[in-house]
Amino acid sequence: MQLVFSSVLPSLRNAQNQDGGWGYRGGASWTEPTAYALLALAAAGESGEDVARGLAFLARTQRKDGGWPPHPSVDQSTWVTAMALLVLADQPGATGSDDANAWLMRQSGRESGYLHRLREWLLGVQVEENVNYSGWPWYPGTAAWVTPTALTILALEKVSRRKPDPARRARIETGREFLLSRMCRDGGWNYGSTRALGFAYDSYPETTGLPLLALAGGRRRNLEKSLSCAERYLASCPSVEGRSWLEMALLAHGRTPPPSAPIPPAFRNLIDTALFVVARAAAGGRNVFLS
Amino acid sequence: MPFISRRHLLLASAGTLGFTGCSRRPAARPLVSVTLASAYTQELYDNFRRILSEHKVQVRGKRVVLKPNLVDYDAAAPINTHPLVVHAAMEAFSALGAAEVRIAEGPGLRRDTLELAEAAGYFQTVPGFERIFTDLNVDQTSLVRLMRPNSRLESLYLPRTALGAGLLVSLPKMKTHHWAVATLGIKNLFGLVPGGIYGWPKNILHWAGIHEAAADLHRVFPRSFTIVDGIVGMQGNGPLQGRPKAAGVIVAGPDTVAVDATCCRIMGIDPQMVRYLRLAETNDQTGEEWVRQIGEAPARVRTDFELLPVFSEYRLRRG
Repeated sequence: MQLVFSSVLPSLRNAQNQDGGWGYRGGASWTEPTAYALLALAAAGESGEDVARGLAFLARTQRKDGGWPPHPSVDQSTWVTAMALLVLADQPGATGSDDANAWLMRQSGRESGYLHRLREWLLGVQVEENVNYSGWPWYPGTAAWVTPTALTILALEKVSRRKPDPARRARIETGREFLLSRMCRDGGWNYGSTRALGFAYDSYPETTGLPLLALAGGRRRNLEKSLSCAERYLASCPSVEGRSWLEMALLAHGRTPPPSAPIPPAFRNLIDTALFVVARAAAGGRNVFLS
Repeated sequence: MPFISRRHLLLASAGTLGFTGCSRRPAARPLVSVTLASAYTQELYDNFRRILSEHKVQVRGKRVVLKPNLVDYDAAAPINTHPLVVHAAMEAFSALGAAEVRIAEGPGLRRDTLELAEAAGYFQTVPGFERIFTDLNVDQTSLVRLMRPNSRLESLYLPRTALGAGLLVSLPKMKTHHWAVATLGIKNLFGLVPGGIYGWPKNILHWAGIHEAAADLHRVFPRSFTIVDGIVGMQGNGPLQGRPKAAGVIVAGPDTVAVDATCCRIMGIDPQMVRYLRLAETNDQTGEEWVRQIGEAPARVRTDFELLPVFSEYRLRRG
């Protein structure tokens, strides 16, 4: 494990920008890669100056409404608020996490709103997806999708471990029902659409691990089909990001994933690098998404 | 404060004025070429040089941005613009003296753009692909106000790589589309909208109205050139799950509406039924008579693409 960290962490640290944040592939700092880098450093047990600068970047870029913009130049809070909260929930005394929690609790997919459902019903629109469960959108005012819903569940679960709250618990469980309703026929997940015009859509390897991880710890459900799908995908998934989520998900559900290569041949972006570190730490018993 | 240069603002406004325009002033009839190409072979390189010569494309000293359609990967389905088409375009624009030719795309469903590009054969076909590629989903952006939009959108963050291009070249695949009936040059512009801000999929465009948002995006990028990969297209349940359709053509021109309308005729779709084309047109480009056609006549190469039953009314009448 230490060998993995000592091989990968220097490149992660070197990619940090002067402003304390990280970019996707170098370049300007964005909220998402900054949060992933901080989660990776936390997973590796780091707490030095680079972590402090990264946290300062997040503190500086939080918006007045409690959310985060994807990039400091964007005048809108979005799904990346869940990413920031995943980091801050681990920081004792960090300011901003209560506001972030409140912002996320105010968001929901537009398709599950009563007014929209009434409109669709009045217009006789045939709705193919189950819209009874409210998930989280990428961008306010749009529909809920799998990835932002799964990340928000993980973030709110972290907050709940410290501060139990019935309203938050209810949203988390509704979010999990949303994920189950968007499961593809093979047990995996794609971005969040199971069918259109009567045609079924297939799942993707890189979007199957994350929702499965977000379903860990919820009430008991039979996820055998999904776990088998994850195991199949893990055997062939070329993406470091996809493999990392699949490994973490299988571990969280008590399965033992096959051993990965110690270091992949190439990391294509910062999220690959960070998730690789996080997944290796999870294999060693420390999953920063769940702990 | 989001950056937007006066140049971008003027371009976007000029595009909008051109479409909302003060009038239907006489305009030059748009030129659209239809070139036969039966397969993805080395002949494409000559084809592309000839196409750009026919259109007298001037790119000397300019920064050219090629925007293919890269969506998903399935070995059995022609979902993406073929990598040889992208490389042939790159070579042809470079040969014309472009200062730089970049490839840029922001896929709407798969987040790992480079994995997708690799699976689609781009790394193998385009030397140094990673060096000349910009992932538009996470590019730096500027906020662009939409003047008199058709959709409910008032503004959009758009990638500076595309906004700052000397020439934006839309390189779509000729495909049917389960919501918009056909996806061609204009619909290909959805890939310019950054997923890093709006998500995967770029659902804000769907809520704003797919047709309306497509027409709005077209207005923001008036200075573009479109080359459609219709060598093997997709029919039926496109843009992801349809079946291959060998149309054997490359359709090109500087007026995207006219190019798309010509593609529709080749596909056996009535372009005047396609809402985003009607919203985007300014000078009757969906009308057959107005377009100056060179190369093959669309009627001669027409090969009806299978349409989903919901689009049966869109079939272009013969004769």
